[in-house]
Order: sequence, then structure tokens, then C-alpha cells
Amino acid sequence: MIMKERLKIISILIPNSITVPLLLLILLSACVTARIEDNRLGMTGLNEGEGIVIIAKSYHLGNETENKFISCISKNMRDGASGLRIISNQEFVDSLFPWFEPRTAPANMQSLPLLMNRPGVANIIKNNSIRYIIWVDGNTDSTGGGGNLSCAVGPGGAGCFGFAWWSDDAKYEASVWDLSDFSEDGNVTADYSGTSFLPAVIIPIPFIARTQNRACQGLAEQLKLFIVG
Amino acid sequence: MKYKKNKNFLALVATFLILSCSSQITVLDPNIPKPVIASSNLSAAIKYPDNFEDFSHEEQIIGADKWQIKLGGSNKILFNKLFSSIFNNFIILDKDSALESTTDILIEPEIEAFEFSVPKQSQTNAFAVWIRYRIKIYDNKGKTIANWPISAYGKSETGTFSNNNDLGHAAILAMRDAAALIILQIEKSSILK
Repeated sequence: MIMKERLKIISILIPNSITVPLLLLILLSACVTARIEDNRLGMTGLNEGEGIVIIAKSYHLGNETENKFISCISKNMRDGASGLRIISNQEFVDSLFPWFEPRTAPANMQSLPLLMNRPGVANIIKNNSIRYIIWVDGNTDSTGGGGNLSCAVGPGGAGCFGFAWWSDDAKYEASVWDLSDFSEDGNVTADYSGTSFLPAVIIPIPFIARTQNRACQGLAEQLKLFIVG
Repeated sequence: MKYKKNKNFLALVATFLILSCSSQITVLDPNIPKPVIASSNLSAAIKYPDNFEDFSHEEQIIGADKWQIKLGGSNKILFNKLFSSIFNNFIILDKDSALESTTDILIEPEIEAFEFSVPKQSQTNAFAVWIRYRIKIYDNKGKTIANWPISAYGKSETGTFSNNNDLGHAAILAMRDAAALIILQIEKSSILK
């Protein structure tokens, strides 16, 4: 309905020859394709007071998940009416130092019971009511781009002319570990691709595809559903 | 007069350019958390080399900026926190003390190498720091019972506008990594048995 209204206003204001390319640009700017899948291995659920920790997989394993992506997922899972108790990543890592450092963090479910047998570890996890650890793997990469845009400044003013575009690909996987029974309950994968455009006729007008942000929102929503249903 | 004014202006510009091409980072306290480990009843002493009081590393990156990272006494803070958590009886000796000690073991840490890379060099959006420590441990008769190289690594990502503090953060992550490695190494050895 809103889109129809917008089209009507635009077609009144601008001649048809300009409307079509302009509309194309507006539509292309929102061009983010998304695919989210989950793979459930066990039953999940969250009792009152139980919390979740979201951590990036170790960079010693070649992972490059951005800190801001972890913060974004944490915020999105914490906020809203169906918000969950998300424990601060840094507080958790500090409270169990040095067992969740990039070098020492458990790489698979088999090493978790060994870690829990270390003095003090199980108590800290129990006292903080930590039920799940979500390990996030993946990152957002620039997959290509092109075009040509140039700007010039002169005594009469400044301006740019040209067209540039670039694509981003956000691929993430979140594995859910249940600390109550040392089991892996499954994983959620998110694959988002987006193309941004920057046309310029005197003034550059950016049409940015917020690929990483959309991947964060999508993954957080799916993880919420995965854990509490 | 005009020449003098120009000279002053040029000096000011040159100073600005020199300053803008060098970055200095200072790490005062790495804020290492207390390790979650079972402590030993053995008594231990530590003897620090001079550069643990005021460690500093300077590097000129070819075709780019000059970087100086000052770790000050942060390594000393790290090792004091680490070893006082491992050993219930832990003391710090001055540098002239003999190797024969009244404690069960004597620890001598050393920084063998310090390296870093900045985003411009690595073509990534991360600062990385490598610190190679050497930890020598002697028994109470002065006999070497351990001589470990500890190669620690820390990586800190940075945003579009890189922040010098990210290099300091990478250094702190490398120190945390060193602490983790030392704990693992001590566990594997027979020192506490």
C-alpha cells in the first residue's frame, strides 16, 4: 500500500522517462537475498533465569567473525518482547579465564566435559545460570564491485559523475551447545548477499544494502525461535 | 621578516607531518582476570629482568608510519597475577638475588621477541601482536627444571577508521594468550607434582 502511494507520488512529480530508471534504482537498493536454515539435533528450551552466551569461534581456527556482529546478535536476542537473557561475552570469558581464550576454548563438544571437570569451572557456569553457548562462525566479505565515479572541485563549485556498485556476502553459522547435558542441539546458518549502488549526477546518492545488519537480524530471530520455539 | 615567518610556518608543518606519521600506544595494565585454576602449595619466587619495568618496542613500517608501543610494567603485572594464582606462597625477588632460593622454585621470565602488524601491512582490518617469552624455572638448588619458549599471539580487529588503541588491545590479547599457554605448560610438566 505504502509502495503504491510512493509510486503515485513519484509518477506525478517526475516525467516517465526519469521515473523508470529512478524506480529501478530504488528497487535495486533493497536487493538483499537471504537464506536461513536450521538443523536441529536435540530438543531446546529455556527455564526462567537461564542465560545464553554468544561467542565467536576462535581466530586460531581461522575464524574472522566481527566483534560488532556478535554485539549485534546479542542485542537483537536480548531486545524486544520475547527477549532472552544474554550474558555479556567479555564478562563470561573473563569469569572463566583462561578457559575460553582463543587458544583454549573448546573446539568441539567432546572437549566440553573435560573443561567442566576443571576446578571451579562448573560452579561458575552454574552460579551464572548459563544454559547455552552459541558459537558463531563466518564473516561478511566484499565479493566484487565495479563502475566508475569521479568527483571534481572548481571555482564554480563541486560535483561528481558516474556510477559505482559493490556486493557483500554475509555467511554465518551458529552452533548451539546445551550445557545442561553437554550436547549440541543443532545449528542455524544464514547466507545473505547484497549489492550497493552509488550513482552520481553532481550529487552522489548511495543506495546501501545493509547485508551484515540484515544477516544479524535474521540470524538472531531464527536463533530465538530455535531455542524457545 | 617574511622569510622568518615562512621558516616558522615550514617548521610547524614539518613537526605536524612528523607527528602525524608516528603513533604511540601505551599499555599500563593488561587487566588480566584471576585465573580459574587450583593453586599449589609449593612456594615460588620470581626474578624479573630490567626491561620488565619499562618495556618498549619501536618499529618503522616501510613506506608508512612509525609505531611505538610501550608496555611499561604491564608484563610484570601479568606475571605477578598469574604466578600468585598458581602458587599460594609467591614472592618477588630483586634482580641481584642468587639463583639458589629459599623457595621451592625460582621463575625467570624474559621477553625474547616482540612483533606486530598493522592493517596497512597485512591488508586486513586487524592489528596483530606476537610476543615470544622464555620462562626458565629452577629448583631450590639452582638447577634448571624447565626452559620453555612461549609464543603468544593476539589479534584485534579495527573499524573503517583504525584506532591506535586496537594495537594495544592486540598486545593485551597476546599477554592473555601467554598466560593461558603458561598454565597449560605447567599442567603438562611435573613441576606441581
